[in-house]
Amino acid sequence: MTVLALDSERRLALCVGEDGVRSQVETALVEPVAPGERLLVHAGTAIACLTASEYGR
Amino acid sequence: MKFVEEFRDPELGRALAGEILGLVEPGRHYKLMEVCGGHTHSIYKYGVDDLLPANVELVHGPGCPVCVIPMGRVDDGIALAHQDGVIFTCFGDMVRVPGANGSLLEAKAAGADVRIVYSPLDALRIAKQNPDRQVVFFAIGFETTAPSTALTIKRARAERVENFSVMCSHVTIVPPLRALLESPDLRLDGFIGPGHVSTIVGARPFEFIPADYGKPITIAGFEPLDILQAIVMILRQLAEGRCEVENQYSRVVPYEGNIRALEVMAEVFELRPHFEWRGLGFISHSGLKLSEAYADLDAEVRFAVPGVRVADPKACQCGEVLKGVIKPWECKVFGTACTPERPIGTCMVSSEGACAAYYNFGRFAREREVV
Repeated sequence: MTVLALDSERRLALCVGEDGVRSQVETALVEPVAPGERLLVHAGTAIACLTASEYGR
Repeated sequence: MKFVEEFRDPELGRALAGEILGLVEPGRHYKLMEVCGGHTHSIYKYGVDDLLPANVELVHGPGCPVCVIPMGRVDDGIALAHQDGVIFTCFGDMVRVPGANGSLLEAKAAGADVRIVYSPLDALRIAKQNPDRQVVFFAIGFETTAPSTALTIKRARAERVENFSVMCSHVTIVPPLRALLESPDLRLDGFIGPGHVSTIVGARPFEFIPADYGKPITIAGFEPLDILQAIVMILRQLAEGRCEVENQYSRVVPYEGNIRALEVMAEVFELRPHFEWRGLGFISHSGLKLSEAYADLDAEVRFAVPGVRVADPKACQCGEVLKGVIKPWECKVFGTACTPERPIGTCMVSSEGACAAYYNFGRFAREREVV
């Protein structure tokens, strides 16, 4: 999913999936993240930041 | 689309299939087990096994989180869902898993307030919206999902959401792998390691597989080229007489895992002495429960839960399918009495279950072969 906006205080991100569906995602495990970054999301929690990985760079 | 399309390239797929063909010894049978339901789903969806030589067999292990939940645990959930004032929340594929007393979906039809959620955060939101009700989240899954539950439990504590609790049925990946490796009726040559579980736990916990059992393991991603490349890596290890943990999915799996996730899990959960697995029986230290510090958010502490053990239906062979002893289509009720619409066993419920994946995708290729 791609990060659209961040609520840093609550450690949540508004993300959009490839299908256009938007959802709230927990970011505590992958911080810091920024709008535009691609996250691997499982059960509402980002478990990896794809754009921050060696491959993503 | 970056991260996806480059891992579905047909030309590269054919090249990897050729590489596999060059690595296998004629006359030797190779049995490789994947232990992640996502892999099982991808293998059938993309026809990965159709690209393999006849002597390379993929065995579908206990990696589907829904499939390993025993019937008694479903009945416990249903009993909780029927308690006065309870809103029972769970993931979508869990509602159709049959217990001895029906499924959660049937409980909902009978009047229980069962709601499907996408994440534990959704369950917490329902709790905030319904302060006069008790909201229980049925937490299932391996280490991939457990951090999400742990973070939500911490959030519930921090935000003082007192009507929220968790029925914790999370499991861990290493104990069932060890149980399978100790099983006398299963001869395996190597493992395709779980991708997203490893994003959390890293590659290190799998070092016992080569060290203690002399089997190679390659952690793999979920696109067809990921799986084919992982098979190449395992076969190359076997051909070269090596036996190691290798990481094909390095774009998201660090060797040490996600340290923050491991820390939050260690804080919120503790190991149960035993946990029952569908088809595998009780396995020591394989299930998680809430730690003492968070026991007030444990639904099994807050409510009376029957905790009855229920034997699997005799017709159902999910246990043998989960151990890779039989193929889905070899089960007596596959595709007849047991279908995704009316499942008898858990493997037919989730799209990650071997039976459902095969029913939805693989059976068509097999029908062509039969004709």
